[in-house]
Amino acid sequence: MNTTSLSPQDNPRRGSLACVGLGMTLGSHLTPLARSHIEQADVVFAALSDGIVELWLKRMHPDVRSLQPYYAEGKSRMKTYREWVELMMTEVRAGKRVCGVFYGHPGIFAWSPRNAIETARAEGFDAHMEPGISAEDCLYADVGIDPGRFGCQHFEASQLLFYERRIDNTGYLVLWQVGLVGDWSLTRFRTGPACRQLLVDVLSQDYPLDHEVIIYRGATLPIEQPRIRRIALRDLPEAVLTPEETVVLPPASPLKPNLAMRAQLEELDKAGAIV
Amino acid sequence: MTDTIEWLETIGKNANLRHAPAEELAHTLEEAGASEALKAAVKFEDSSRLSTELGNKPMKVDHNPHTGGHEEEGPDHDDGQDAPSQPPKPTPSEPSPGK
Ligand SMILES: C[S@@+](CC[C@H](N)C(=O)[O-])C[C@H]1O[C@@H](n2cnc3c(N)ncnc32)[C@H](O)[C@@H]1O
Repeated sequence: MNTTSLSPQDNPRRGSLACVGLGMTLGSHLTPLARSHIEQADVVFAALSDGIVELWLKRMHPDVRSLQPYYAEGKSRMKTYREWVELMMTEVRAGKRVCGVFYGHPGIFAWSPRNAIETARAEGFDAHMEPGISAEDCLYADVGIDPGRFGCQHFEASQLLFYERRIDNTGYLVLWQVGLVGDWSLTRFRTGPACRQLLVDVLSQDYPLDHEVIIYRGATLPIEQPRIRRIALRDLPEAVLTPEETVVLPPASPLKPNLAMRAQLEELDKAGAIV
Repeated sequence: MTDTIEWLETIGKNANLRHAPAEELAHTLEEAGASEALKAAVKFEDSSRLSTELGNKPMKVDHNPHTGGHEEEGPDHDDGQDAPSQPPKPTPSEPSPGK
């Protein structure tokens, strides 16, 4: 056996990676375990949505490195996300305990944490994801939606334009990253009314133009209230939309009973074969 | 003395403070000698007023591409090229399974 090349398993000081969620609201959502990951790390990387929340995180660890500077207008976000993975992995490979802190939940609409964890594991390092309270969780609480009631579909808004997706308008529809819908290049941080009009064109195949659209922003600071605006679908293109807002369409049609399946289940019941 | 970040953490984890009406919270902060910026942010229900004390760092919030399980199809920039602004025309081939 070659003993000179140390595999991560043999390395006395093994690097590791934990990607944790900070939740949405400063002070309210960070779990004790996520906090412990932060405090026990050698180096912390942060992709947060509020500058003041970043200042708060810096109180928890002396070496917090913001991932914000890697974004740039005109630079593909895909490149940025890959750089984030590399930044974290470089420290993991150097034997450091690395903690990546992401606002919300690190596994919800977030490319880098999942890919960094896959990369780390593929290279033999311990890697772990610690969930956080996401924008989705806050939305359910603030808007009063239960995804189990009628079902709930979630889409990255651009995916509805670049791909043919099937929308089920008997359930809730939640659209993420609507503020930059339609930007294939991933180099822009905002798109305009014309792109949102195309989104409305797609949605109008399943929803009437006067259907209610909820535009939601959850609180990132504990002195804020959630912001919930309700407009008609036809007005979405001209609405002022910030990048951190999520768009919800409530159901447009009632659930349709599946008569054939009900009949089959009735037969099973009669035959005593349900259990 | 409690500084503004500490105050925000305290408010964030205290049910009474987190859900107190703005005037009530403003009063509590006044009594406790909190900063002018924090008191103004609470009183006027406008967190941007904290920027006079804590600065204003604009943050980008997007962490996700739009290609979902088909990342290989998305604009790739490892080659340092500029991003194509529109998707390539699909070539007739097997659909790639999502990862
Ligand atoms: C890339 S996703 C990241 C989501 C994050 N990982 C989470 O768990 O919430 C960015 C999108 O999250 C949603 N979002 C971010 N901040 C939000 C907020 N404060 N309130 C509501 N939605 C928010 C918006 O749809 C935004 O376009």
